[in-house]
Amino acid sequence: MSLYNRRDELPIPPADAETHTTVCQYCNVGCGYNVYVWPVGRMGGKKPNENAFGVDLTQPQPPLTGLSYTESMHTTVTKKDGRQYHVVVVPARDSEINRGDYSTRGGTNALTAWSETRGTRERLKYPLLRVGDEFQVVSWKTAFQVLSGVIKGVLDRYGPEELTAKAFDHGGGGGGFENNYGVGSLFFTGLGMKYVAIHNRPAYNSEVWGSRDRGVHELNYSYEDARLADTIVLWGASTFETATVFYIEHMLNNFKGATVGEKKAAFAEGEPAEPARMVVIDPRKTSSVTIPQSIDASRVLHLRPNLGTDYVLANALARIIWEKGWHDESFIQTRTDLATFEDYKRKSLKLYQPLDEVLSEAETITGISREAMEKAAAWIAKPKAGGHLRRSLIIYEKGMIWNMKNYDQIASVVQLAVLTHNIGRPGTGCGRQGGHQEGYVRPPYPGDRPPPNVDKYIEEGHGKFYWVIGTDPYLSTPNSQYFKKRIHARTQALTEALSLHHGRGGEPGDPEALVERILEALDVTDGLFMVVQDLYLTHVARDAHLVLPAAGWGESDITSINCNSRLLRLYEKFMDPPGEAKPDWWIMAQTGLAIAQRYREEGREQDAKRFEFGKNWKTPEDVFLAGAREFPDNRVSEADEATLPAECYKGIDYAFLKKVKLKGIQTPVRIDPKTGKPVGTKRRYVYRFGTPDGKFKWYGTDDWEGYPEEVAKYFEGERKSRYPFWLTTGRSQLVWQTMYHDKYLPEKMLALPLPYVEIHPEDAKRLGVKSGDLVEVYNEEGNGNFMVYVSDSVKPGLIFAIMYHQRGSANNLVSGYTDPKTTIPWYKGTRVAVRKLSNGLPDLMQSASTRPVNDFE
Amino acid sequence: MMALTRRQFVKASASGLAALGLARAGFWFAPSLPYASVKVANLANLEVGKPVYFSYPDARSQAVLVKLGTRAIGGVGPDRDVVAFSASCTHMGCPLQFKNGRFVCPCHYSMFDPAKNGEVYQGLATEFLPQIPLEVVPQSGDVFAKGVEGLIWGRVSNLLG
Ligand code: SF4
Ligand code: FES
Repeated sequence: MSLYNRRDELPIPPADAETHTTVCQYCNVGCGYNVYVWPVGRMGGKKPNENAFGVDLTQPQPPLTGLSYTESMHTTVTKKDGRQYHVVVVPARDSEINRGDYSTRGGTNALTAWSETRGTRERLKYPLLRVGDEFQVVSWKTAFQVLSGVIKGVLDRYGPEELTAKAFDHGGGGGGFENNYGVGSLFFTGLGMKYVAIHNRPAYNSEVWGSRDRGVHELNYSYEDARLADTIVLWGASTFETATVFYIEHMLNNFKGATVGEKKAAFAEGEPAEPARMVVIDPRKTSSVTIPQSIDASRVLHLRPNLGTDYVLANALARIIWEKGWHDESFIQTRTDLATFEDYKRKSLKLYQPLDEVLSEAETITGISREAMEKAAAWIAKPKAGGHLRRSLIIYEKGMIWNMKNYDQIASVVQLAVLTHNIGRPGTGCGRQGGHQEGYVRPPYPGDRPPPNVDKYIEEGHGKFYWVIGTDPYLSTPNSQYFKKRIHARTQALTEALSLHHGRGGEPGDPEALVERILEALDVTDGLFMVVQDLYLTHVARDAHLVLPAAGWGESDITSINCNSRLLRLYEKFMDPPGEAKPDWWIMAQTGLAIAQRYREEGREQDAKRFEFGKNWKTPEDVFLAGAREFPDNRVSEADEATLPAECYKGIDYAFLKKVKLKGIQTPVRIDPKTGKPVGTKRRYVYRFGTPDGKFKWYGTDDWEGYPEEVAKYFEGERKSRYPFWLTTGRSQLVWQTMYHDKYLPEKMLALPLPYVEIHPEDAKRLGVKSGDLVEVYNEEGNGNFMVYVSDSVKPGLIFAIMYHQRGSANNLVSGYTDPKTTIPWYKGTRVAVRKLSNGLPDLMQSASTRPVNDFE
Repeated sequence: MMALTRRQFVKASASGLAALGLARAGFWFAPSLPYASVKVANLANLEVGKPVYFSYPDARSQAVLVKLGTRAIGGVGPDRDVVAFSASCTHMGCPLQFKNGRFVCPCHYSMFDPAKNGEVYQGLATEFLPQIPLEVVPQSGDVFAKGVEGLIWGRVSNLLG
């Protein structure tokens, strides 16, 4: 009767099972986990001394405080010794950030491990080369021969401008310092490539230049601040769904009053310490709003601005604060740059314009009432009884980052925080929530700012070589329908040109002859040679010429930091990668060496050297330590932590990380000038900001100019009635990103079988659709088919779509607009039409729940 | 609330093992253990939307039976709408509440759909709620619990010992 295979008994790790510590492969929170590995055929006992948990398993575990070991936390894997092993991955209790807790995504960490007997058997095991328009297994030797030949050929004939790539830059599974350093070393040190895009956007940029240019790195708070804040602001972040354990364990416990004792200990004498208030700024009424509302609605404020207007709202709040005198004047005077402050006063606060006028304009643009704005301003900045500065933690994420005018949006929020001194004090901070974890270390990117839009560059026919690593742009890039068609056409053009005898014969069998043929074909067609490097044969891989199998989480040691605390930890290897799959850093190093060899054969010693960055990389730690050399001298004072890159880990090695385990160390790491020992940084910018003179640099935001052409066109003439809905996008609690693992897990595919849209009941009535029905959503950019959830999460006239799903992407509908200042897309706003396709499919109606996910009453 | 006495329970387990013929050597898909068949309700006494709590498969495991009023996966009774589940949240074991046709966990807000095999559709839990297969005696309307499909949170085996 179960919809998928269930267990009613689980194997027990014996007391001598191999144990490892690691961190969840998925989200920004970075929950700690314990891993147990032992050969199949053996079993521990239920008594505490008979099992590796050290727990009495004869008794049921006590709720909340007991060990969580669920069906999804066990799997079996086969190692290189040809034997099967049990693998158990359970949330760790001695990890401060999660304290034994975990989320629905991390709960499946074990199930994502490669296994011949489950869905993950689909992992890529060997390099695949498209030969005769089919993938054929080849050796790494052949793969590197072809790869290095094509790269060097393109580089020598046309220069680095014709080499393009899209690669991860994050931490956690699929990333980490080691892999990032490998990618950066080849692309920047070796190849000098400028046409490189980051995994989730079409360019090589920061998503938060609006903050960094001010001297504020986006990860500046610590998880403790979420426990100490008087007010938690979630701006364009549905933290319950996308940073789940951070929300539950820290924000919500603060909201419930469970951290009042900690506040009393941390606050000044006589300072009021009460359960937190929450301000959620989001066009949708998500679970992150309705959960605290179900506890105490009087302490929750939900603002639902019109799409794209958040920076106008932030500036209006700042103006109210200014008028009320709730800003911190002495902080502004001593810690910020007063010259640029004039700009801010003029353009953002609009001090030359009367308050009433500014606020009534803001009301019209944002759709938020003045009363609500005043309430939000008070909750963020009004001093507490006794004149104590309020402590507000302001966390933003993709609702702001992927908003129209990325730069101004981010700048406006961080400036609101600095105006009110909500940074650098316990219980404050202003930064991003994070999507993935982080773990960035690379040689400098050689391109300009703003960087080129690599998608458009390739679409226009530029670039002869395209290397996609650990990301699936067929789902994740904006305006992806056009992108897919262009990549398909260009890769296909090359494939066709490879056939001998005027297109009627086979392809050269010898790799060197094949390379020659590829280079000739690239010269005479607008063809594109595409390499895809990933765990699985992703959507984009269907058009690749060469597919390279990458090792995943748990298959090689990696290091990363989480987002809420910049906590650096070691994610230990606990199993072998499948087949010939290799860590990304190894693939990049070997590619470099293969190119170097070709140069050396031509006697071009200098050129060869650039590509030998990885010649001494034997272990992941070698790469980690090589990466550390990118950081500046970190023997600096506590105050000068602000001068260090946020991820600086110089002075740390694997031995250190193995010793501190899940306790980790918070970056930036400094070497204490007195003791010579590495010390972490709990909270940033306590003493100075990250600018040359230590002062925060203000910025005057642009005036409201309406929507960019790519979206404004939908309000012209007939289009206005043809595309009557706004569309915004986001993620679902249940799954991770493109579902590259989740698509093999029945728990996930049963609950979320198709990409979905949320439609307000009034609109649903008008459209004649109900929950479970299928609709087509379309506009002049593209099309997508979705399952309907009728939901009051959206307002009438606004449709929400899951941004991507294994079975389709809402990015087909997203325009090609990017912020001219940053080249960051506006993924979360466009106009669409909706038409019903069919009633709910019977088997999906039977198995997929369509109950509202934001109603807890 | 109904509870299995320890004697009934031991008897049930023993006969189950005997039926198997030998000590269990491996693992199979649930239900794989010698669960007792226990009367937990009578159809005549059920009201739509009113949960009936009982202990199963032993006194330390709270379970819940509910008549949903709409057809459900694994539902019994004339309307195929009577279902039963472990009442411990599969996330970290908190006792679930049945509210407005579904289960909500008061601890971290996981929600499970009783009509869809206990599917997690929101919240922190990974596993669907273990469903308890039911059998109805046609003459009497008595409803019997027959096993547990899925691991009850906090146990390495649904049957203690
Ligand atoms: S909250 Fe994030 S880090 Fe923690 S278990 Fe879930 S996905 Fe993993
Ligand atoms: S115990 Fe139920 S959601 Fe955590």
